[in-house]
Amino acid sequence: MQDIEATSHSGFEQQLPNRRQALACVGGGFAGVALSQLLARESAASETSHRPAKVKRVIQLFMTGGASPMDTFDYKPELERLHGQMLGPKEKPEGFTAPAGAIMKSPFPFAQHGQCGRWVSSVFPEQAKLVDEMAFLMAMTTKTNVHGPGTYMMNSGFLLPGFPCMGAWISYALGNIADNLPTFVVLPDAKGLPYNQRACFSSGFLPAVHQGTVIPTKAPTQSNQSIADLFANEKYPFAKRSADEDSLKLLQKLNHEHAKTRSDDSRLEARIASYQLAAKMQLSAPEAFNIASEPEHIRKSYGLDQPATEDFGRRCLLAARLVERGTRFVQVWSGPQGATGNWDNHGNILTELPPMALSVDRPIAGLLRDLKARGLADDTLVIWSTEFGRTPFAQGSLGRDHNGGSFVNWLWGAGIKPGIAIGQSDDWGYQAVENKTYCYDLHATILHLLGIDHEKLTVRQNGIDRRLTDVHGNVIHAVLENPNTSGK
Amino acid sequence: MVFVNTDPMLILRMDWCRWVCLILFWANALIAGDFAFAQEEPSTYFREQVLPIFQQHCLACHSHAAGEMEGGLSLDWKSGWELGGSRGPAIVPGKPEKSLLMQAVLHASDELHMPKEKITNQEISVLNRWIEKGAFDDRVAQPKSVEASSHDWWSLRPLVCPSVPIAKTSNPIDSFIVSQLEKAGLERSPLADRRTLIRRVSYDLTGLPPTPEETDAFVFDQDTNAYEKLVDRLLLSQRYGERWARHWFDTIHFADSHGYEHDIGRDHAWRYRDYVIQAFNNDTSWSRFIGEQLAADYLFPDEPQLIPALGFLGAGTFDLSTYSTATVTFDYLDRDDLVTQTMAAFSSTTANCARCHAHKFDPISQEDYYALQAVFAGIIKGDVAFDLKPETTLERRRLQLIIDAADRRDASELLKAEHADAINQWLISQRQSAQWQPLELQTYVSTEGATLTRGADGVVLASGNKPDKDTYAITATTQFDRITALRLDVHSHESLPMRGPGRCDNGNLHLSEIELQVFEAGTQQGRTLSFKSATADFNQTSWGIERAIDADPKTAWGIHPAVGQSHYAVFELAEPVAMRPDTKLAISLRQLHGGSHLIGALSLSVTAGDPSQIKAIPAEVELALQNATDDVGFEVGFEVSLEDRLTIAAHVLRGFAADSMRLLPAKVFVYAAAPSVAIPAGEGQVQLKSLPAPKTVHVLHRGDFDKPQAISEPGSLSLIADLPHRFTLQNVHNEAERRAALANWLAHHDNVLTWRSAVNRVWQHHFGQGLCDTPSDFGRMGGVPSHPELIDWLAIWFRDDAQGSLKALHRLIVTSETYRQSSASDTQGIRLDSDNRLLWRQNRQRLDADAVRDFTLAASGSLDLKMGGPGVQHFKQSKGPQSTPTLDYTVFDWASPGAARRSIYRYVWRGIADPFMETMDFPDLGLLSPVRGFSASSLQALSLYNNDFVLHNSQTMAQDVETRVSGLEQQVADCVMRVWLRKPSEGERAELTEFASRHGLAELCRVLLNSNEFLFVE
Repeated sequence: MQDIEATSHSGFEQQLPNRRQALACVGGGFAGVALSQLLARESAASETSHRPAKVKRVIQLFMTGGASPMDTFDYKPELERLHGQMLGPKEKPEGFTAPAGAIMKSPFPFAQHGQCGRWVSSVFPEQAKLVDEMAFLMAMTTKTNVHGPGTYMMNSGFLLPGFPCMGAWISYALGNIADNLPTFVVLPDAKGLPYNQRACFSSGFLPAVHQGTVIPTKAPTQSNQSIADLFANEKYPFAKRSADEDSLKLLQKLNHEHAKTRSDDSRLEARIASYQLAAKMQLSAPEAFNIASEPEHIRKSYGLDQPATEDFGRRCLLAARLVERGTRFVQVWSGPQGATGNWDNHGNILTELPPMALSVDRPIAGLLRDLKARGLADDTLVIWSTEFGRTPFAQGSLGRDHNGGSFVNWLWGAGIKPGIAIGQSDDWGYQAVENKTYCYDLHATILHLLGIDHEKLTVRQNGIDRRLTDVHGNVIHAVLENPNTSGK
Repeated sequence: MVFVNTDPMLILRMDWCRWVCLILFWANALIAGDFAFAQEEPSTYFREQVLPIFQQHCLACHSHAAGEMEGGLSLDWKSGWELGGSRGPAIVPGKPEKSLLMQAVLHASDELHMPKEKITNQEISVLNRWIEKGAFDDRVAQPKSVEASSHDWWSLRPLVCPSVPIAKTSNPIDSFIVSQLEKAGLERSPLADRRTLIRRVSYDLTGLPPTPEETDAFVFDQDTNAYEKLVDRLLLSQRYGERWARHWFDTIHFADSHGYEHDIGRDHAWRYRDYVIQAFNNDTSWSRFIGEQLAADYLFPDEPQLIPALGFLGAGTFDLSTYSTATVTFDYLDRDDLVTQTMAAFSSTTANCARCHAHKFDPISQEDYYALQAVFAGIIKGDVAFDLKPETTLERRRLQLIIDAADRRDASELLKAEHADAINQWLISQRQSAQWQPLELQTYVSTEGATLTRGADGVVLASGNKPDKDTYAITATTQFDRITALRLDVHSHESLPMRGPGRCDNGNLHLSEIELQVFEAGTQQGRTLSFKSATADFNQTSWGIERAIDADPKTAWGIHPAVGQSHYAVFELAEPVAMRPDTKLAISLRQLHGGSHLIGALSLSVTAGDPSQIKAIPAEVELALQNATDDVGFEVGFEVSLEDRLTIAAHVLRGFAADSMRLLPAKVFVYAAAPSVAIPAGEGQVQLKSLPAPKTVHVLHRGDFDKPQAISEPGSLSLIADLPHRFTLQNVHNEAERRAALANWLAHHDNVLTWRSAVNRVWQHHFGQGLCDTPSDFGRMGGVPSHPELIDWLAIWFRDDAQGSLKALHRLIVTSETYRQSSASDTQGIRLDSDNRLLWRQNRQRLDADAVRDFTLAASGSLDLKMGGPGVQHFKQSKGPQSTPTLDYTVFDWASPGAARRSIYRYVWRGIADPFMETMDFPDLGLLSPVRGFSASSLQALSLYNNDFVLHNSQTMAQDVETRVSGLEQQVADCVMRVWLRKPSEGERAELTEFASRHGLAELCRVLLNSNEFLFVE
């Protein structure tokens, strides 16, 4: 390894050599690699932690398909004035699915809410009550108008597959909080996986341990199988639960025996420890996933009593329970890929958006209030995000097409300055014009809140020191509670 | 409001000076503590505040180190900005408002936005202050350009054979290793025992464990050449190709689906997988392997069976969504993926780093990079059709030659003596023409309400309502007692637009499908008759008559532009049909193209004539025939004009050739890339795509699709001085020649990267890491070799002595003592070289994901060694929300046929990975994965412990052992032998038997399969 460091004149000072070794360990050479790194446990955190962390746990809510900003949070009266006029681009821009139609006003009334006077449309009545707690990024922008690359970008910072997503980077950098639950959990919509399928939760070139643990899309009616292979399938009668203790004891004995003469190889030790952790997870996970144990009023506050909100609400509640018990990062997806049942409202904003908005609105409000009630708001960050916005021009006559030019995300919770909005789109909501932010800036900010300098969290892969933020990213200090101007 | 495509920045309209003031005021307000400058030394301020901004935002494009000075401006030394670039000095000390640099960073004018993404106000403020205070800069020496020394790097230096160090070893590898160990004060470890060795070398060469019998045979083999015999046997095994194909597929991110949003399966990708396995098993030389994969079509045109090799070009991702909606982006990014893959795989370079700017660390310019893009500008990924056998291709080519000659009326071909017989035969057959008899129509209706009337001449005329599409249903009888063909005449008529024969405004018609049924008297159930051939006197281009019988309602027969005249078509029955006077014929004329492309006037007739006499003859051939057959034809040299002879010959030979072509074995497909492909689009559908000529590739300014600069000519990297980096092509329009030129560049004797790259990859898989541990990056950001002389010696030996034979290279490596040494620990070794870079021992390796499966199958006794063919899907596939299907891995039945085949035959879905394989570190094939990772986690432990695959095979193993061996203790010993390849110790035997007696043999197998002794190879 020395020769590599010595020949690097890259200007990337922080090489995190131990991390690099952990990645490179395919053959021998494990003396320098700590067991904790192989298992991505918390003790690794001190190594990558670059400043005190405000945030310990993160819940990301992802609206699949491109939630329309000008029909939710980005009020554009100018659209009412210009409604019906053909002012859009004459030629179909790259990534639009159709040529731009006439300017289309929002079919939903907007009103100002909270002390901050934030405009919110009628589709989000519950979130509207909490705008004073949120910080809005009103001029998010991206580099594509296509779902696949757009979803990759918001998750991994790259338009291409194969790169680690944010959850994986966070797991890699910080490890877990508790060792009896997965570090990074993904809760996809019951209707299906998002665009790019499981590749959105990939650990890319980071070790597989950092990938998102996907909880099956079907409702976990059996909390026992919430995590894949948590227990043996009943169709194998020999694999009795009653034998587990003996079996594990025997396995560990055999493995210890085997490791005795190979004490310099930490991989063997890591595998031994992994079975102990697995046993812990078998004990803890069913309890964590058992949302039936929550009191009625809590379940109701997440909308579990209504069919429209039941799925997203259940997953929000699960997210709260998981972060409460030590999961580091939970992603809750609204909507599968595809033409229906998500936020990709090409056909008719008036009929397609409200059911989606309804399905998440009460659960989100329920989640934010519940996190407070559980005392988690002090170190938990919630992010509401989507892969891009939609056009101010009609597609057909009633829908809106993809638009990477401007869209809205919001942040809530620890370290966040409440009740503010950063950035502005143009009068139509078509392009971000003022204080625009990219996923790089959002990711840099999230890492910053977690105590990580996004420029120092690097892994060399095929000749490049890769970062979640590629070669970009500025921490958005304006959304931080106590702006720290020293950060980049 | 005028529409502005870029950001409508109102700021642009402000006076820029005012804007600066505004910004600075705001920025200063933000940085409350920024009174640093007053107190700091200018040099400190410059180093700590200013330089980092330059480094982060400017130097990539304006420095000697980057090899790039955009607009002639360099900012890496004082004289650089003093002199400035094409616009003049960049900085006027003391006068920020007059400094171009400030205008650029403020994005103050439309034409000068630097960097493209605006730096922060704080950074702007720092630069402003620095300039205001005189722009202190102590960088007075001209920086050394990377260009000057850039070729002086281990991987780029010419290959000069190093002398083999003198050591008491017979294998040169050992000499190099031992001499370096000695220098470090280390000793090589003792040789591993035979049991360890056979497991290791079997894993490395075949990916499978030896059987207990093979193990014992080797352990007790007295022959001094026992090991060499073993190695030879393994290298001859078909399992070898299966193992090494996997390594290659990781390297080039080959998978069976597109990836991205529309992650659609590629059902023909497996033919490339089979090709690679065969290529390794046949020990195809490395240079030939390169050529076949990049340009088999061009380099080996007579070997169509090699077309699957082009699957290399289709190995990577395909973003169908971007392809459909953002074509420019798609073209550049998809080619980028291919360039990245090709250059990483064969030459271990990261050419892709030069997409937006010159490579920051290696001598690769943007021009070089886009020259590589141009190599692939003529192809697109998709299913490519090919013949399985060379003779089919040769025959197809011969027939096509005739068809082409017929189209050109090429006398030199058509009037060749070899064709005379066929033509004469045909002429003789035409002396008698078939007797056609009009059908006796009973009913004739339009299903869409057009009026069909029958005139005195028997012609049915359409009038009245003119629907978009229509189907005519006609029933009729005939006097013939057997029929061989049906004839459709479409007539010109003055009531029709352009005098018909169609009802479309331009006189055209489109017959999508014709269907014929017979109803025997008294039956309700008709019998559909199939047609053998269809001919017409005239075919519209791409709307030939055969399209009326192809069962595809989307294709049809048309007659444009020959409107205003009657035409006919003949449909020959697959076999003659007997008729009785009361047998009814039902004819359906489906005209589904739309736009009222409908038949205006028609009549139908049948014949019992001989097949050779019934085919439709184009009008000009009919005329020529009349001229020629006043007598018996031109075989007797009768005065027939050359024109008529050519007309007849062209018609006859085209017909024969087309008929013969139809009888050739159908082409099959491989997912690859070519100018003409069928792109899998989901649910069995394909999108056809053809590129008539290579697309134009531009150098993109900063990689921005909207900023195309110079056009790129096909070429490669200029970093190997001895090889020309722009290709001289015979025909620049022939895209295949471009690929062949790149293949030749890569496979060239003097391409030092290629040979080093290949030997390093082989080494990597025998020792767990390469001599250079970044196998796909030999650049400055990659590793440097632990044994530079050895890698060069091996590269030269592999290229020259072994002539690119991988098997020879394997043999040399695995017979070395370096390879055969023990993996046991050693205090001195750990102390001096804990990473084992000097190879004082062999490296212990965990079975990779594929081997975990294959070893498990071998142990359970269920391993199925069937080779080749479509991949086995370890999931249930159902329709997804859009074109990507839903895959459920949890319901797969591990007892189903094919389930126990080797992992290489899995159907690998790129974006919906097999969770079991994923936890065992099977890579994400969205990107190139030249090195497998290692991880250990609770989720992996759960997977190995509880996954159906492991449980099923635990059960299978126990059952298999129980049927073969009696007595629990012996059964336990047998299980241990299968999994660990050794006998249990006395203690183990007792303990494991006791465990099995309480929990069953299957449970014991499950434990053994989870053990580290099973999962690691010493």
